[in-house]
Parts: sequence; C-alpha cells; structure tokens
Amino acid sequence: MKAMTSTMHTTSKRREALNETRVWHVYARRKYEEPLHEIGNVMADDVELAKVYARSIYDEFSWVEMVIVPRDCIITVIES
Amino acid sequence: MPGTPVDNAALFAVLSSLADNKQFIGRRYAYWCNGAPALEAAVAAAAMTQDELGHARTLYPLLEDFSQARADPSQVEPVTRTLHYHLAFLDHDFRGWSDFVATNFLLDNALTTFFEAAQDSSYEPLRQRARKIVQEERIHAMHAEGWVRRLAKAGGAVRSTLVASLNRLWDETLCWFGPDDDANMQRLYREGIIDAMPSELRSRYLQKIMPTLSSLEIDVPVTFDLVTKHWEPGQPLPWNEWDAIARRVKQGS
Repeated sequence: MKAMTSTMHTTSKRREALNETRVWHVYARRKYEEPLHEIGNVMADDVELAKVYARSIYDEFSWVEMVIVPRDCIITVIES
Repeated sequence: MPGTPVDNAALFAVLSSLADNKQFIGRRYAYWCNGAPALEAAVAAAAMTQDELGHARTLYPLLEDFSQARADPSQVEPVTRTLHYHLAFLDHDFRGWSDFVATNFLLDNALTTFFEAAQDSSYEPLRQRARKIVQEERIHAMHAEGWVRRLAKAGGAVRSTLVASLNRLWDETLCWFGPDDDANMQRLYREGIIDAMPSELRSRYLQKIMPTLSSLEIDVPVTFDLVTKHWEPGQPLPWNEWDAIARRVKQGS
C-alpha cells in the first residue's frame, strides 16, 4: 500500500509539472438517432491534446460524433 | 509481382526512404507506449505507433512493383531489408520523451509535407496513399504542437531538453527534402509525381512549423523574410555530410 501511495504521489507530481490538471468529459454516439452519452474523461490542459487523447483512448467504436466538455464549465443545477 | 514493372530509380529511392522513416518512427514510438508522462499520452503514443507502422506497411509493397527491386528482392520487405534509408537520428532509442515530441513535430511533419505534395501525384498508388496519410497525420500534428507547447512552457530543464531534441534533429530533417539540384526530387517534379522542388517543399515545411516555434520563442537557425513573409533556413545546410542515396546524414558525421 505504501508503494502504491508513493507511485500515485509521483504520478501526481509529474502531472503537476506538466500542468495536466484539467478534466474533459467525453461524450459520443454511434448512431445519429441516439443521444450523446458520456463514455469517459481525459486530463489535458490543452484543448487540442484533449481531442487527440479522447480519439485515441475511446476508439472502441466507429463513433458518428464525439465531443468533449471541460468539467469546470459544467454548472450544477440540482445537487442533493 | 504482376504487370509491367515500373522503371523509375528516383521514385524507388524516395519511396524506400519514406517507408524506412515511417517504419523506424513507429519502432521508436513503440518504446513509449508505456513510458509517456501521462496515461493519456501513452495511449496516444500507442495509436500513433500503429499509424506509423501502418503507413510503412502500405509503402513497402509499392517497392515490389519496381524493376529496381529485381536486383535484390529482399530489400522490399522490412524484415529482410538491410539497407537503411531512415534518418540517422532514428538509429538509436530516443533519449527521452522530448525526442518523441521532436520527431513527431519535425520529422513526421516533414514527411507529411512531402505527402501533401503528392496528393495529386501522377503515380496513382502514391496519390491514394498520400491522401490517406495526410488525413491521419492531422491528429499527429495536433499531438505534436500540443506537446511542443507544453514542454516549452514548462520552462527550466524541461524546455531546454525539448530545445536540445529539436536542435539534434533540425539539420537532418531540413536536408531530407534534398538540395535544390537533387536529381531524384527533380525527376519526381518533372514527372508530376510531386508538385514542388526541394526548396519549395522546405519552404512549405518551414511555414508550417515556424509559427509554433516562433510563438514559443524557441531559437532555431531560420530567418524571416519581411518582403516575402516567408521563413527560410538561416544558415547553409550540411550537404557535405549528406548521403544523397540513403537520404540521411552519413555515418560518423
């Protein structure tokens, strides 16, 4: 457990050094008649890199549409 | 080897260089599929590795159609090929992630500049592949620019390591287009296989990469002509070290 904590700390430090702290939610759909649904997220401060990462990580289907939304732009309306 | 073989030594040589560079870029990228600074970058590296090896795999079979391959058929297969027409920079493993970024930004962009010039090629097999490769390379270019920006803006040792990687690859990449009197490139231009001569290709390439480097204040040996509004090489390229056949810097240079 100690080793895992250390690894996570190192990874966190490396992310901090390269400023990869911004989270992007990834939405996609396989057919036009389907709604977009959230398929995951990526971390990148640069929007172009976020697009590259989303395309390469979530490439399990031939999506007809994929969009990314920065988490910090989401406004909570109801929170219980 | 069906049909009449193509007899074009110049095209055979340039295709060999393109295939070898793509193959070796893929091999070097592969090492970084689990070594990139972040998980997202590692997955992207894996995807780009597949793309580069895929590009090589579509180019090598073209060599089989040339009469120049008859002398030594083993040279058209990446597994049996003993000639190495890739840049000397790719001879060794990358020293770090910055070499990955520099290769993607400088070398892969240079090869894409060539493929862009071949999108209306008179040689149909290249024309087809060039259009597909140019399309796929858009994602690689986004990755390259994003990482150059990121490493440069990190400052300190991260930035200086990136600059060192760019500098080590700079001359050889600019040389790859060939000198203005490059016989192979001249023939490709004359026969409508590409739409520009080496100096024009080099110029197109610089206009593509320099806005990013300039905005980040990364010093490279170029000058900006205020009249033509074009970036040009700022110092003579090392043609005395250039191997025109292998399209790479000579061993030991």
